Amino acid sequence: MTQVSTNATAAARKQALLDPDFLARLEQLEIVSRKIHASRQKGERRSKRQGESPEFADYRNYVVGDDLRHIDWNIYARLDRLFLKLFLEEEELNVSVLLDVSGSMGVGDPSKSLYSKRVAAALAYIGLCNFDRVNLYAYADRLVGRVVGLRSRRVLPQVISFLESLPAEGKSHLTAAARQFALRHTQKGVVLVISDLLDKGGFDDGLRYLIGRRLDIYVLQVLSPEEMEPDLAGDLKLVDCEDDDVAEVTISRPLLEKYKANLQAYCRSIRDYCHQRGIVYLLAPTNHPFETLVMTYLRGRGLVR
Amino acid sequence: MNLLSWPTALLFAGIAVPLLLLLYFLKLRRQERSVSSTLLWKKAVLDLQVNAPFQKLRRNLLLFLQLLLLAAVLLAIADPVANFLDRPQKNVVIMIDRSASMQTVEEDGRSRLEHATEAAVDYVSHLDADVRAMVISFADVPTVECTFTHDARRLARLIRGIEAIDGPSRIGEALPLAVAYSTNLVDIPGIAASSVPEAAVGDAADIEFFSDGRIADADQQYVMRGTLRYYRVGARNDNAGIVAFDVKRIWDRPGMLSVFVQVANFGPDPIQSDVSISLNGKLLPGAGAVREVSLGPGQAFQDGRPAERDGGSADQDLPPAQNVLFEFFHDSGGVIEVRLHRADALATDNVVVAPIDPPRQVRVLAVTDRWPVELYLTRFMKELEIEDFQLMKPDAFEQAPDDALIAEGRSAFDLVIFDRHDTDRLPPGNYVSFGCLPKIEGVSAGDDIEGEPLIYGREDHPLIRYVNYDGLYVARWRRLELPPHAVTLIEGSDSVVMAMLTDPGHRYVITAFDLLESNFLNEVAFPIFMQNAIGYLAGGGMIADRRLVQPGETISIALPPGAQEVRIRRPNGHIDEPPVPRGSFVNYARTQDVGVYEVSFDDDRAGPELYAANLLDAVESNIAPADKFRVGSEAVESIERDAKVNEPLWPYLAAAAILILLLEWWIYNRRIMI
Repeated sequence: MTQVSTNATAAARKQALLDPDFLARLEQLEIVSRKIHASRQKGERRSKRQGESPEFADYRNYVVGDDLRHIDWNIYARLDRLFLKLFLEEEELNVSVLLDVSGSMGVGDPSKSLYSKRVAAALAYIGLCNFDRVNLYAYADRLVGRVVGLRSRRVLPQVISFLESLPAEGKSHLTAAARQFALRHTQKGVVLVISDLLDKGGFDDGLRYLIGRRLDIYVLQVLSPEEMEPDLAGDLKLVDCEDDDVAEVTISRPLLEKYKANLQAYCRSIRDYCHQRGIVYLLAPTNHPFETLVMTYLRGRGLVR
Repeated sequence: MNLLSWPTALLFAGIAVPLLLLLYFLKLRRQERSVSSTLLWKKAVLDLQVNAPFQKLRRNLLLFLQLLLLAAVLLAIADPVANFLDRPQKNVVIMIDRSASMQTVEEDGRSRLEHATEAAVDYVSHLDADVRAMVISFADVPTVECTFTHDARRLARLIRGIEAIDGPSRIGEALPLAVAYSTNLVDIPGIAASSVPEAAVGDAADIEFFSDGRIADADQQYVMRGTLRYYRVGARNDNAGIVAFDVKRIWDRPGMLSVFVQVANFGPDPIQSDVSISLNGKLLPGAGAVREVSLGPGQAFQDGRPAERDGGSADQDLPPAQNVLFEFFHDSGGVIEVRLHRADALATDNVVVAPIDPPRQVRVLAVTDRWPVELYLTRFMKELEIEDFQLMKPDAFEQAPDDALIAEGRSAFDLVIFDRHDTDRLPPGNYVSFGCLPKIEGVSAGDDIEGEPLIYGREDHPLIRYVNYDGLYVARWRRLELPPHAVTLIEGSDSVVMAMLTDPGHRYVITAFDLLESNFLNEVAFPIFMQNAIGYLAGGGMIADRRLVQPGETISIALPPGAQEVRIRRPNGHIDEPPVPRGSFVNYARTQDVGVYEVSFDDDRAGPELYAANLLDAVESNIAPADKFRVGSEAVESIERDAKVNEPLWPYLAAAAILILLLEWWIYNRRIMI
């Protein structure tokens, strides 16, 4: 009985998006944006605007209509002129995660979907801990779910619940999803696209929508070892799990080599596209430990610190 | 290549090929595997197809190999055979030469006949199951060893039982017999169409001919239908033998015997050997009884006859043949044996024997009633020193008692000459007819022919030798109707003028013209002809050359009056007792061995009558196997003896199928076990 209980606990922990120990380590991190964005809400991030933070920014002449509370009376006493004391404004950071939950993300053990959800949860938790405004969008051929405006670590269960409720199904269409995202999400900030990007509609149009919103974009391409080193043999009928498209292949050494070469070329083309447009690209095989990805690779890429 | 069981293979192919294709299509129902995206797979496949234009072929390689494998298996089921020859017909006649030359001992110590029978048995064992075969062995006459049968074991057993004889090789009867059996076209004497088994009816048979190719009369034959294939047997060619033999008594000294032999070398090397003569088994006294002969190489022999030679070394210059003449006095009977003392490949031709009778005068009778003929004949007989020459009028001849004309069952005269007298009083003997016919079956005369020249004379016949018929003028002669076996001696443009007819015990020389209606009497040709006739026909009275035969030849034995029993002792000691017919002759054909045959009657009071069989055949003695020989105008090339008619190919196909299977297995595994 005890053994069964232990196994069940281990399985549950394995399936759990975030480990409590790991959560504690995540609290040390914060999400970094390479850009300073203006936000509607005050937060803990320095804004382009002057505001009411304790940190002094500048002086300017008083004009009619200014808030009299901001007049530096000491200057007036010395110079008999009205100057307004300006302080740096601190605003919140919008952290958005665009998570691919199409059918192809269900492939692999652990599935790419689980792996992606863990990354999304971790980033969300980091953002929540730092009072960033966290938005989670799930997409397949369109946006299929979202939780937005989360701003406290207390809502972590809501985040986890949302992520766990997302099934990996449907076709993948980044362009349509990104277009929807761009229309709905007008705030500036950081956006992390987590997907395998095995999108027959292409990845570039979708990213272009995000680029147009002047977001600080990170692309995390998640691939399973089965996709990178296929363990296939014989005469096979390969069925696309998203659109039931069929490819009849006879697995041979040249074919496998060609597949791998094509996969590398495809990933390279994404990386090059991102680099040319200031997007940070990161390839994440699911056999790499998730903790390592967050604590090492994402830090290395400057997404967190 | 032939397919022996192609219907079976076709049946299997009808089932297996569609099944394989069906299975192949079933195999194309590939195993389904779900993948995250077919995007890159399709691109990879497309890239490979673009880069490898033969990808489709590669994809179908397994199907191709499977079809190849199936084809090999089906071919193996069809029981293919490699035909080194044309495919044998349904009927096959196997002819095996068992003549004297087939007794040649080859290098391996086995005779040629053993090699031939082995090759024939091998041939039979490879025949298709639906092929019928018969076996004919032959020397000078054929023997049907086995009629058409499917039973290969029986054929093999009978072939192995064939024994060689000392006789010459002739296919004059054997080949028509084989053709008759094979085509059911029976047109040879002694073979009735009804005697041909039904098995032979149908397609013309192939004739498989196992021989050394030394056949004297092959060029006089022809094959009407079917195919004649010649399997050459033997290799040795070193042989010397006695090819000619004659024993004569000298007329003016009847006690003297003149024995002539010709020794010929047929081998490639010169030889030296001794030739000895024995009488009644004992070497003759005196140094002359053994002669040394030196003979050059015998390649110059063409078809058994010596050819002109060019220069060379001393040995090479020696003639390949040499005559040896023994002369000695012997005024009683006995058996003469001449032996060539040499151990060569063929022993049969190294000895000749001849029985001789005590000397006696030649008796000649002329039946004529015209004085010019009487005058000329009397004169010539006197010149020829024929002391016992009698003239008789035709009437007197007809009225003469039998005792005057017949002695010991034969004619009392060695030669009887008829001048314009047709008669049927013809006891066994020798007869020359001028302007008249013997009253025997098959001989008749038709209309007269006038004013035509004589066209042809057979100068190699002893009767016409040195007879200058060119100067002979015949005003008129009668058109002769003769049996087929009559030998033409002189003929005009379209009719026979003189012919010789040989029947058992009888020899007839029939002249179609009247002596007085020609200039024959006045020409030198007449005394020469008469001398030839007395020497060739009546010579038997001195040395009974009628008792000298070739092995296999039939002996006609004249029965003494009242004889009830005949015993014939063969050279090998066996005694035959042939049934005694009603007539005055017993025909005996088991003269297969060289040597002396002793014939005795009833109580042996008169002592045995002797006959001798000698090979005396240069064609047989020339044992070098012929690569080809001519049958009529067609050259028959030899085939290697060990060539098999049907070489089964199914083991090779089965091996190929296994190899293809392994190859397919290897390719399949190479493709799936990356």
